Amino acid sequence: MLTADDVHFGYDAAPVLAGVSVSVGRQGLVGVLGPNGSGKTTLLRLLAGRLRPRAGSVRLDGREVSGLSRAALARRMAVVPQETHLAFDYSVMEIVLMGRYPHLGPFELEGPRDLAIARDALAATRTAALEARPFNTLSGGEKQRVIIASALAQLDRRAENGGTRADWGDGLLLLDEPTASLDIGYQLDILALLRQLWTDRHVTILVSTHDLNLAAGLCRDLVLLKDGRVLASGPTAAVLTPAHIRALYGVEAEVRPHAAAGHLTVVPIGRVGDEGARP
Amino acid sequence: MTSIRGRLWRTLPLFAAAALVACAVAPLVGSTHLDLLKALDPSIPFARNTDAQILFVARLPRTLAAALVGSALATAGVVFQGLLRNPLATPFTLGVSAGASLGAMLAITFGWTLAFAGLSPVPLASFVGSLGAVGIVYALAQARHRGLSTSVLLLAGVTMNAFFSALILFVQYFANFAEGYRTIRWLMGDLDVSSYEPLLAALPLLLAAFVAFAWLPRQLNVLSLGSESAEARGIDVDRAQRLAFFSASLATGAAVSVAGPIGFIGIVVPHMVRLVVGADHRVVLPASAFFGAAFLVACDVVARTALAPIELPVGVVTAVTGGPFFLWLLVRRR
Amino acid sequence: MAARQTAVARRVAQVSDLCHMVLLLALFVSTGASAGPVPSRIVSVVPAVTEMLFAIGAGPQVVGVGSFDTYPPEVKARPRVGGLLDPDLERILSLHPDLVVVYDTQTDLRQQLARASIPTFDYVHRGMPDIFSTMRAIGARVGRADAAARVAAGIEARLDAIRRRVAGLPRPRTLVVFARDRLALRNIYASGGVGFVNDMLEAAGGENVFADVHQQAVQATSELVLARAPDVILELRGDFESIPVEDRDRERHVWDALSSVPAVRDFRIFILVNSSLVVPGPRVADGVELIARALHPGVFK
Repeated sequence: MLTADDVHFGYDAAPVLAGVSVSVGRQGLVGVLGPNGSGKTTLLRLLAGRLRPRAGSVRLDGREVSGLSRAALARRMAVVPQETHLAFDYSVMEIVLMGRYPHLGPFELEGPRDLAIARDALAATRTAALEARPFNTLSGGEKQRVIIASALAQLDRRAENGGTRADWGDGLLLLDEPTASLDIGYQLDILALLRQLWTDRHVTILVSTHDLNLAAGLCRDLVLLKDGRVLASGPTAAVLTPAHIRALYGVEAEVRPHAAAGHLTVVPIGRVGDEGARP
Repeated sequence: MTSIRGRLWRTLPLFAAAALVACAVAPLVGSTHLDLLKALDPSIPFARNTDAQILFVARLPRTLAAALVGSALATAGVVFQGLLRNPLATPFTLGVSAGASLGAMLAITFGWTLAFAGLSPVPLASFVGSLGAVGIVYALAQARHRGLSTSVLLLAGVTMNAFFSALILFVQYFANFAEGYRTIRWLMGDLDVSSYEPLLAALPLLLAAFVAFAWLPRQLNVLSLGSESAEARGIDVDRAQRLAFFSASLATGAAVSVAGPIGFIGIVVPHMVRLVVGADHRVVLPASAFFGAAFLVACDVVARTALAPIELPVGVVTAVTGGPFFLWLLVRRR
Repeated sequence: MAARQTAVARRVAQVSDLCHMVLLLALFVSTGASAGPVPSRIVSVVPAVTEMLFAIGAGPQVVGVGSFDTYPPEVKARPRVGGLLDPDLERILSLHPDLVVVYDTQTDLRQQLARASIPTFDYVHRGMPDIFSTMRAIGARVGRADAAARVAAGIEARLDAIRRRVAGLPRPRTLVVFARDRLALRNIYASGGVGFVNDMLEAAGGENVFADVHQQAVQATSELVLARAPDVILELRGDFESIPVEDRDRERHVWDALSSVPAVRDFRIFILVNSSLVVPGPRVADGVELIARALHPGVFK
C-alpha cells in the first residue's frame, strides 16, 4: 500500500536518510525501530508526504505521494503524534470532528453523517463517554485515545463509498512514538487498542518507536533504522534478535518468547563492554 | 453537545443583535442634549441644523468608527491567538501597533502634511508605520525558516515592539511638550473621526481582511492541534499561517490608523466570547466581530459621557474594564 | 451661569495668587540671607522668565537659556541648557550660575541645584495676573525691582487700553485651539476656562466657549464644537508648532466639516502664529492685541 523506495533525505548538507526502503502492505502492521536520532521521525514525515525525498520515491498504491493533493493524501493517511497540547478548550467531540477536515469543502459544516462517523471512532477507541469533556482535562492516555479516534474519523471513507458503517479499510495510521510520554498502564492500553484496530477493523498501521517490547508485542513486521540506513527488516520474530539489538543500541539483551504475554520479550542486560553484561 | 450548525444559529443572531442595538443607541447618547425630531427634520437646511450635524457629523461616524475598529481588533485578536497558539496574544503582540505609533509620532512631531485617499497625515503615517513593522517581522520570521515559524514570529514581534518603543523615545526627544502630550493621547485611542472619510479609507482594507478571515476558522481549529497534526489533516499550514498573519495585521493596521492602538479589545473580547460559545473558531470569529463592535461602541459611550463635557480617552475605559479581566485570565490559567 | 462660574474661578485664582505671593514672600524671608548679593550669572530654562529678565534690563546677567527660548533675539547667542523635561544639569553647573530659574514641577532639578548650593527661582504657570507678580518677584530678586515695576505697569496700561477699546462691544463666543492634528479635526486641544490663554481672550474682548470647564486644556471633540457653536475659532501657535503661511488656508478649511458652527459659516477662523501668544511673558499685550484684532477687526484698523 505505502512504499518508500531507496529514499535519500537531509535537512541540510548532512544526510539524515541514505537509501532507506520501507513497505507497508494493506492491513500490515509495521514497526520502525531505532535509537533516538536514527531518522525515524524524518522517515515518517517522508511517508506522510510532508517532506520530499532528495532521491528515491514514496508511493501510495503505486502513485507518487507528492503528486497527490493534500486532502486526498489526508483521506488515506492519518498521523498520530507523540502528544498533543491545545491552546484552547475544545471538547473531545470537536477534536474528533477535526478529523473530518479533508472531507469537507471550505465552508461546509459537519453534518449528521460526520457526527455518526465521529461517534463510531469514539466507540472504537472506548472514549464515547468522554465526548462532551474538555480535551485539556483528560489524562495522557485518554488524550492519546481521542487523538487516535480523530485519526479514525479522518480515515473513514463511508461518505465516499456510500456506506453507513465504519469504513477504515483503506486507511493507514502513522503513529510517531505514540506511547513515549505515557506511563506503563496507558502504554499497554494503546498497544491493545492498536492491536484491536488492526485485527478487528483491518486498519493498516505503521508505528515508529524505540520501545523494544512495544514493537515485539504489537508489530508483525519490523524495520530497524540506524544512522539513516536500514539495518534489517522483515517479520518481527526474524528481526528482533540479540545481535540486532546489540548493533542497534549497543546493548546486550535477552530475547525470548514469554508464555503469559504471548509474544517475544526483550530483557536488556547492560551496555556492550560493561562488566557483568554477560550472564 | 449540539451540532455546529445549531450553535451558529443560536448564538450569532444574539451577538449580531447586541452590535445592532449598540450602534442604534450610541448615536442618541452624548455630552449634549440632542433633539432627534429636529435632527431629522428635512425642512431645516443641514448647514444650519446643529442637531443634525451633531448626529450625522459627530456621533454617527464616531459610532461607526467604534464598531469597525472594535470588530477589527477583536477578530484580529482571535486570529493572532489562533496563529500563535497562544491565548494571551493580542493584535499588538507582533509589533503592528508599535510601528503605527512610531509613524503617528513622527507625523505629529514633524508636522507632516501629506494626505492621501481621505487619510490625514497622522493616520496615514501610522498605517505606513504598521506596514513597515509587519514587513520586518515577517522577513525575520521567514529568514530563519522555511515557512513561518510561530516561535520566531513571536520573538521577532516582541523584539520589534521593544525596538520601536526605543525609537519612539528617541523621536520624543525632538518633540516639544505639546507634541509629546498629543502623542501620548494618541496612544490611548481616539474615535472622534468627525467625518466619514477615514472610515471610507479604512473600509476596503478591513473588508479585504474580513474576506480573508472567512477562510480561516476551520484551519485555525485544526492548527490548534499543532502544525504537524494540521498538516496531516490536509492543511497547507504555511499558506494558512501566512494568510492569518497578513490579514490580521492588515485589520490591525487599518484599525489603529483610524483610532490609535486601543488596548485590551483584542484579548478581552475573544475570551469573553469563548466563555459563552466555546473554542470553535467558526463561532468565535464571527461572534467576536459582532461583540467587539458592541463592546467598543459601549466603551466609547462611557468615555464621552462619564465626565462630560470632558472626555475620557476610550483606551482608558477599555483598560479599566479589560485590565482586571486580563489578570483574572492569567490567574485562572495557572 | 457660565459668567458666574468664571467670576468664581477668577476669585479663586486671585486668592491662590495671594497665597502664592505670601509663599514667595516667605521664601524671601527664609532665603534672604543666603540669596545675599544680586545674582550676576542667571540661567533660565523658562522662556517666559527669560523674556522678563531681558525686558527689565537684566539681559546681560543671563548666561544660559532653555531649548525653547526664541525671544528676544539675544537668546540665540546664549548657551542652551535643555527644557522643561530634559534640563541638562551638567551644562547648567558648567555655567557657574548664582541663580537658576526653574519650573515649579522640576523637583529633581531643584533638589540637585540645592545640593550644589545654587539658589533657584520657582516659576508657576497659571493665569495672566501671575505674569506681573512673577515679573515683580524676579525683578526684586535680581536687583531690578524698580525696572520690573515700571515694565509691569506699562504692560498693564497697554492691556487696560485694549480692554477699554473693546468694552461695550459684543463679545464673540470664541473657541481657542492651541493644538490639533495637521489637516484633520482630530486631537483638538482648546483652552478651558482657566489659565493664561483664557485670560488673554477675555482681555481681548472675547468669551471662551469653554469658560465653564475649570481646566487649562479641553479636548474639543467635534460634538463639543458643534454644541458650543463658537462665533470665532482662533488657532494659536507658537514658533515650534508654526503652520507655514502657504498651508494656512487649507488648515482653515478643515473646519468646513462642521458647517453649522457660526464661525465656520461666516469663516471667522483665524490662525495666529506668534510666540507672544504662547509665552506668558512681557509681550502678553502684543498677544492680546493680535487676538483683539481678529475678534474686533472694526475697532483695530
